[in-house]
Amino acid sequence: MSIFKSWATAAIAVLALAGGSVSALAEAKTLVVVQSGEPVGLDAMQNNLQHSLNVAFNIQDRLFDPLEDGGVAPGLAESWDFPNDTTLVVRLKPGLTFHNGEPVNAESVRFSFERLMDPDLASPHAGRMSQIESVKVVDDLTVEFLTKAPFAPILHLMSYYLPIVPPVATAAAEKDAFNRMPIGAGPYKFESWERGGDVVLAAFDGYWGGAPEYEKVIFRTIPEESARVAAFVTGEADIIEGVSVRSQQTIEKSGKGTLTDSMGVMPYVGLNTLEGPFTDQRVRQAVNYGVNRALIKKALFNDRGLLAAGPISPRTFGANLELEPYAYDVEKAKALLAEAGYPDGFETTLAYPTNMTQIQEQAQAIAADLELIGVRAKLEPLDRSVMWEKYKGREHEMYIYWWDDNPEPDRYVYSLFHSNSRDYYYKNPETDAALDNGRSTIDRDKRAVIYSEIDRAMYEEAPWLYLYIIPETYAVSPKVDFVGRRDGFLFVRFAKPNGA
Amino acid sequence: MSRYILQRLIHTVLVILGISVISFTFMHLSGDPVGLILPQDATHEQIEALRREMRLDDPIYVQYMRFLTSALQGDLGTSIYTREPVVRLIQERMPATLELALAALFLSLIVAIPIGVLAAVKRGSWLDTISMTFALFGLSMPHFWLGIMFIMVFSVQLGWLPTSGRGTLAQLVMPSLALGLSLIALFARLTRSAMLEVLGQDYVRTARAKGVSEVMVVGKHALRNALIPLVTAVGMEFGFLLGGAVIIETVFAWPGVGRLVVQSILDRDYPVVQAAVMMLAIVFVSVNLIVDLLYAWLDPNISIKGGSK
Repeated sequence: MSIFKSWATAAIAVLALAGGSVSALAEAKTLVVVQSGEPVGLDAMQNNLQHSLNVAFNIQDRLFDPLEDGGVAPGLAESWDFPNDTTLVVRLKPGLTFHNGEPVNAESVRFSFERLMDPDLASPHAGRMSQIESVKVVDDLTVEFLTKAPFAPILHLMSYYLPIVPPVATAAAEKDAFNRMPIGAGPYKFESWERGGDVVLAAFDGYWGGAPEYEKVIFRTIPEESARVAAFVTGEADIIEGVSVRSQQTIEKSGKGTLTDSMGVMPYVGLNTLEGPFTDQRVRQAVNYGVNRALIKKALFNDRGLLAAGPISPRTFGANLELEPYAYDVEKAKALLAEAGYPDGFETTLAYPTNMTQIQEQAQAIAADLELIGVRAKLEPLDRSVMWEKYKGREHEMYIYWWDDNPEPDRYVYSLFHSNSRDYYYKNPETDAALDNGRSTIDRDKRAVIYSEIDRAMYEEAPWLYLYIIPETYAVSPKVDFVGRRDGFLFVRFAKPNGA
Repeated sequence: MSRYILQRLIHTVLVILGISVISFTFMHLSGDPVGLILPQDATHEQIEALRREMRLDDPIYVQYMRFLTSALQGDLGTSIYTREPVVRLIQERMPATLELALAALFLSLIVAIPIGVLAAVKRGSWLDTISMTFALFGLSMPHFWLGIMFIMVFSVQLGWLPTSGRGTLAQLVMPSLALGLSLIALFARLTRSAMLEVLGQDYVRTARAKGVSEVMVVGKHALRNALIPLVTAVGMEFGFLLGGAVIIETVFAWPGVGRLVVQSILDRDYPVVQAAVMMLAIVFVSVNLIVDLLYAWLDPNISIKGGSK
């Protein structure tokens, strides 16, 4: 009996060990990424929200691979060139297939572009691709894009927003079904998605860059930050997104992981340059001198991030690095106000959308500083959609908004300052001309000079009260080697098990 | 009785209609979703074009009538983001919400009834004091705080339970407990007071006088009658559980309707919010209706009173 018992015990122990090691092995090849918001769909063409694209970009690849500096590297494309300023010829890598076996060829590129522009799909990226007039299949692996005018940001835009999809499967599926179960040629295949729960992706052997290190990636959503941090600290999550300054300290102290910075946001205070006191450049400069942005950044953001001098983030290609951010100088600010006819300052309003990070503290600090130079700003916290309505209705005098710290200057400077795009609070024909020049100059070095001049001009003109760039922070488990990207997307093929 | 049922039905329909008007108006007054759907770099022409296409430029009453007409035909609309019928999105999430609500209800009843009975039987004893103090704590603690505390203690410190998600029994424990704790408190107090009232009745005294054992007196004669008010409370609370689960679902990343609603409010996904509110309201009002009818059936006095109104 006792012999039998000891044998049984040994057998159970062996089984337990085997089971344990198998699951440990499986665990080592699985990456769990936790986001703060849920993806609404997984077809990159139909979605624009970050939490959706973070998953979708791993499934659907593009012609070009985006680089940290705003440039591009080969993706599904092997090479490309511009025979003239409005023609882009792209040659595809031979022998690639989509996850379902369809070939990646010129026809699939043409199909993808036409699908994206189809009004019935209502792709949020259609506007971004609207400079492309036509796509022509030259041969099985060569495609020609014609743009309406020379358009330099096109490669950058295509490296994100023109996902290439398999024509047969895509055309056969309803668009909502494809949004649930997308197919692409990216490093990961869609495996399953329990709505509200996990999205599971599996490594794709046929990826042009080789199968990624993690065999399986699970994207999970935990909206509540303390629960998300708890999941990280207990080891349930390998990478978590949305780590505020408060939680950063918790994670650093726990010793359970490290922090990595991803793309930041660039908050700014927009000024109404078309009506009221801010029509005067001196007043706009005065408020720039009147806010201690360095102190606010230090106090509220653990001193992470960068100070902004002009509208182009110092990390962005084309930024004028000779510019010094406006110094904090109360006397100078007061003198400028007096010169502009406001020796006793004035009353104004400072609106902000309540969904921005630590916005309440930022707005209070800015208003407190402005009060010292005599600009008495009444705070107006607004729900983001109300804020947007009022913004469009030109109802703000001063307003806090933000833009992604994007690597391509045209993306935001054009969008925010060109009168073709938004002319609610600022309009300047000279700026328009410079911005047109910036987007139509294909040569990268010449472009850099153009943007650097725009940056200087806007620094002096001061249509904004410039603030800072605050990074978005991820926490990463010691088991994982992953560095946050400038563009803010979670391309998980770059994650590796540590020591591998 | 049938007149009472008819009255209650009409009443129910009016309530649902009222809720639809209020939720529709509030959601639409809070701003339009176009600015959020399109990327930051969209131009104002693109924004206005999308508004026209989504027919958001019609007056609000026209939009409401459009919604009502299709809702009456069983079409509650399509999600702005996923482009799927909202009914499907909600149906997918409903099982999770029901599971959580039922688990919380079950958990609270099996704990609350014995506590309430014991507290009533041992009225004035230390047991009574302790359980009623505990009940008061349970009632006063916010779900949100409780949820986070559970995670901190049972997941982070002790490592006993997973922090969030759905699928295993272990994942159901904390959310249902956090949701059910205030119910334990409520039901325990209710059971206690109902028991006290019943225990003072003549028939209980008679039963005791006849020499029926105390266990039989309490368990059979008293408890059965004391449970009637509890039926109403359970019905009412079940509706609240479905709505109250919003916070708990968010804290524990529970994939239910509540979380869908929160996310959709943030994204201004009107059709989803509207439909979810309507469906929760219908469940709530229907449960109320059933409880009322059940109550009327259990106690004929009520239907007479109701009918004479």
